[in-house]
Amino acid sequence: MRKYLPLIRASYMVSLVYRFGFLFSIIGNIVYLGVAYYLWKSIYQGRDVLNGLTFNETFLYVGLGSAIFILLKTYADWIIHFEIQQGTIATYLTKPLDFQLYSLFTNFGAVLMNLTAITVPTAVVMIFVFKVQVTSGIGLWLFPISLIFAFLISFSIDFFVGLISFYSESVWGVTATKDIIVTVLSGGLIPLQFFPEAMQKILYWLPFQAVYHTPLMMITKADLGWGTFLPMLLLQIAWAIILLIASRLFYNQAIKVIRISGG
Amino acid sequence: MRTLGEYIRLYFIIEAQYIKARMQYRADFIISSIGMFFTSLATLGVFWVILQSVPDVAGWSLMEMVFIYAFFMIAISPMQILFDHAWQLRFHVQEGTFLKYYFRPLNMMFYYMSEIFDLKGLIQLVMGIVLLIYASIQLQIDWTLLKIFLLLITLFSAALVQISIIVAASCAAFWVVESYPVLGLAWKLREFAPYPMSIFDGAFRFMFTFLIPIGFVAFYPSQLFLRPEEVSLLVYFSPIIGIGLFSLAYWIWTKGVNSYTGTGS
Repeated sequence: MRKYLPLIRASYMVSLVYRFGFLFSIIGNIVYLGVAYYLWKSIYQGRDVLNGLTFNETFLYVGLGSAIFILLKTYADWIIHFEIQQGTIATYLTKPLDFQLYSLFTNFGAVLMNLTAITVPTAVVMIFVFKVQVTSGIGLWLFPISLIFAFLISFSIDFFVGLISFYSESVWGVTATKDIIVTVLSGGLIPLQFFPEAMQKILYWLPFQAVYHTPLMMITKADLGWGTFLPMLLLQIAWAIILLIASRLFYNQAIKVIRISGG
Repeated sequence: MRTLGEYIRLYFIIEAQYIKARMQYRADFIISSIGMFFTSLATLGVFWVILQSVPDVAGWSLMEMVFIYAFFMIAISPMQILFDHAWQLRFHVQEGTFLKYYFRPLNMMFYYMSEIFDLKGLIQLVMGIVLLIYASIQLQIDWTLLKIFLLLITLFSAALVQISIIVAASCAAFWVVESYPVLGLAWKLREFAPYPMSIFDGAFRFMFTFLIPIGFVAFYPSQLFLRPEEVSLLVYFSPIIGIGLFSLAYWIWTKGVNSYTGTGS
């Protein structure tokens, strides 16, 4: 494991090159927060509670959701795609490294960069500009743990999608479909409580809700207690393990079809 | 100088070849189309889910929002189909391959943008047209000749607004190395165009009307057909806004092209 840790630092340093980009990401997210604020304000229109959430809770959920979206946006699927397409993946195959772990740790570095450069500023804006209130409770302590598993699930899905490049030229189509499914069906854009009940029942059993809904609930309804959070966390851990294994099996399968032109 | 007619004829010749070449990758087209289908419907899906819990958003019903959304889909299609090469500008500029566009007796923007004809954008266009017809039937909009004429004019202007924003943002590549975030931001703002602008006030309404006028991509022109009595006078200026913005984007493009010195390799 020790040989992988420097990868985190290295990819953190690489991300640091793109400082200029973070400025635009922060501006983009602040505009998004403003749009979400007005949109939900006009949806609540004087109503106190909708689907068990107050305006403050919904805005916290949606706003923080956008911050987590940026946090987990590491373009792992695209990077793997380019490595396969250009053949540079071969250089990893000759090294005494595990490609999945290599990708995981480089991604973790990028996530840390996103955290310091975008997610934290977004949270600060939410608290000081939009004045959202956070209730205290056990959920706040579970949130960081939950976020780590959310990262593992999100990474596994990206890794899986990136590997599809072994079989197909079209990454845009697959990635775009994945992005939409993951953000819409996970609570990334609207709280899951707003979905029709029949849909909610299905959504709670899919892995996507574990990426956004689980950590977001721990902040918005932090006082719900162990009875609610423990099953959520266990489901999340189960999905993280299943998807890490599944994407690994897929990798072992996919690597056999690789053909790289020499030169 | 070539005439507009010559350019149009040339465009058809170039794209016919391009489409033939793309058709070799049929699976790619099918997968991209599926991706386009889901991407196009995401925001509409969000509206649908929200309107399960409340009857309207700032007085706009689901069907009215479908109309605005359909207008939006049609209005952004020309940008998607004809100007998709804007996304690759930064690679061409960085790697120096952009130099080749200087060496043809053609308008450079024309030559550059004609290299990609985004087929999956056609899916978006068709979906937009189908949804627009569906919503107008549901809303019982009475299409007179005048209204159809207005629709075409406003769609044309809206398309120009959207094209200008993306082209201008992509031109950042001429001046900064890591220009993707500028285009990314412009792309993100585009997502807010189908929102009813009446939900915003103050700085946000001002920004979406005058600074980055995405209000003119869908909401303001749609009002003309949904609620003519509430329509903002600004809508009647939308052709001027569209043409004005495009001229501005073209000016930025020309500045960028003239300042580009290649990579020296």
